[in-house]
Amino acid sequence: MSIEIRNIAKRFGNFVALDDINLDIPTGELLALLGPSGCGKTTLLRIIAGMETPDGGDVLFSGAEATHLHARERQVGFVFQHYALFRHMTVFENVAFGLRVKPRRERPSDAEIKRRVMELLGLVQLDWLADRYPSQLSGGQRQRIALARALAVEPKVLLLDEPFGALDTKVRKELRRWLRRLHDDMHISSVFVTHDQEEALEVADRVVVMNHGKIEQIGSPDEVYSNPASPFVYQFLGNVNVFHSRVQDGYAEVERHEAAEKATAFVRPHDIDIAHQPLADGLQATVQHVHPIGPLVRVELQHDSEVVEVELSRERHEALQLAVGQTVWFRPRQMKVFGGDGLSRSTPEKQPFLF
Amino acid sequence: MAAKTHRVLPGFGLALGYTLVYLSLLILLPLGGMVLKASELGFAQIIDIALGERSLAAFRVTFGASFLAAAVNAFFGLIVAWILVRYPFPGKRFVDALVDLPFALPTAVAGITLATLYAGNGWLGRFIEPLGIKVAYTPLGIVVALTFITLPFVVRTLQPVIEDIETEVEEAAASLGASRWQTFVKVIFPAIFPALLTGFALAFARAVGEYGSVIFIAGNLPLISEIVPLLIISKLEQYDVLGATALAVVMLALSFILLLAVNLLQWWSANRHKNSEPLEVAAARASGGAA
Repeated sequence: MSIEIRNIAKRFGNFVALDDINLDIPTGELLALLGPSGCGKTTLLRIIAGMETPDGGDVLFSGAEATHLHARERQVGFVFQHYALFRHMTVFENVAFGLRVKPRRERPSDAEIKRRVMELLGLVQLDWLADRYPSQLSGGQRQRIALARALAVEPKVLLLDEPFGALDTKVRKELRRWLRRLHDDMHISSVFVTHDQEEALEVADRVVVMNHGKIEQIGSPDEVYSNPASPFVYQFLGNVNVFHSRVQDGYAEVERHEAAEKATAFVRPHDIDIAHQPLADGLQATVQHVHPIGPLVRVELQHDSEVVEVELSRERHEALQLAVGQTVWFRPRQMKVFGGDGLSRSTPEKQPFLF
Repeated sequence: MAAKTHRVLPGFGLALGYTLVYLSLLILLPLGGMVLKASELGFAQIIDIALGERSLAAFRVTFGASFLAAAVNAFFGLIVAWILVRYPFPGKRFVDALVDLPFALPTAVAGITLATLYAGNGWLGRFIEPLGIKVAYTPLGIVVALTFITLPFVVRTLQPVIEDIETEVEEAAASLGASRWQTFVKVIFPAIFPALLTGFALAFARAVGEYGSVIFIAGNLPLISEIVPLLIISKLEQYDVLGATALAVVMLALSFILLLAVNLLQWWSANRHKNSEPLEVAAARASGGAA
């Protein structure tokens, strides 16, 4: 089922949660709503689920008006961050709930319910836990049960609100891949909310980056990461160094203070070269800290009053042998420049820094 | 080397000893004295007194009215608690404070007020008596007084439990297609049922022991609207100390049995969903199952 969101707005008192949101979610897509807390992503998800009523705008399911449909009529599966399992029911009864509350003429027979529930529990690989209560399960198991419960009613759309937010890193990574496989097998549309950019980039077909109730960018994971549409998107998706610069003749000039349009240059830490000898178009800096982190070495450089973060591979670091207090030169390999109005400028590649 | 577990309160031994001494002094000693006094009579005689026509009627009135009052409060108290927890409305704090008033008010004052209100010429009585409903000076009056007195028990027991129910659980039920009624019956009610039972038991226990408010509204007609505590007092006034203790002991035994039964029921409904098997065992099976 495809979802269309038309001019959706929502306020809570004076707080604008959603401001004129438009979004199309085609059938079969796995979409991530990504943004910091308070950006409206969960509100948008809840509006799609029918748990929140928008102040204005429309939600269309497969082209049909669904804005004022009650949650129970939407055929939407919802998975909560904190699972929201029914504590007094066994795992089996939790998953069977959606089938048991169906009107009598639609309700499957007990044997059929048992078969479907066990099939779903098999799908989430927890069939051996059928007679347990939620309090006896780990967080990851509970979330998989919550997912099985949502899938039991054969929803057209699966909505997940920070589904892995409460889990530890390792379990989260496993469940992420598992969700991706599940989505591909089930042929349904899925929307999940997350504040974890890694999660969004890894799992989703498309990522919607949100901030302050507005959509900042919609695109494939690669697109939003390598071609961010706004400074916010750049900063939200991974670490970044910010240089206040000016744009002149298509070049970003970091250190020349002449009349020109103000701009900001963004450079990812892994897009910076370091050398012991002066580099053409490079800047001079002092090494402040060297932290080896797993496969990477993070180096902090002091350039005038600014701290520049650089990520080097271990091999590169070994070749350089950086020591704290050393004077080095650095130069960005690539960067993205935004004007004072937050709009993208042509990216200077040839000669990014002028003195 | 034996591992020593550290507890917050001073040593288990000390705390348990204190608890036992405290409970003995406060509860067991007076009750024990009463049972000892009653034992001068012998079992057969105690039963005889308890099964006398007047005492039997009093027991029926006391436990019947208490049960009704507790049941009424279990229902309406649930609604009050639900409203107070779930909905914001102007004057909510005021209403919340009102609930505790029956705790604080001298029970005799409550009894007199209710009697005046429901008497044939009272504010309420003048409207309902023509309808054939007589409240003041009847067993119905006892139920009304006991309902008034025991309201806070149900409300205050349920409030924290209702607060504890995540609204997400209701939303989950709705998204799975459950109607409001199904959500209440299958999801909400099972979660609050143990607390409701506790509230019911507390209200019931309080009602059985209530004296002050009842005697003013009951009319105290032997065989019709006389409660056991009043019968005990009147026996004492006639210097029939043994008769009074006999009734007290029977009442004590009945209350204890009923409370125990309710507690067991509550314990059962609360523990049905707890771990029947330690988590580690389940986890071990989990890793076994995954392998």
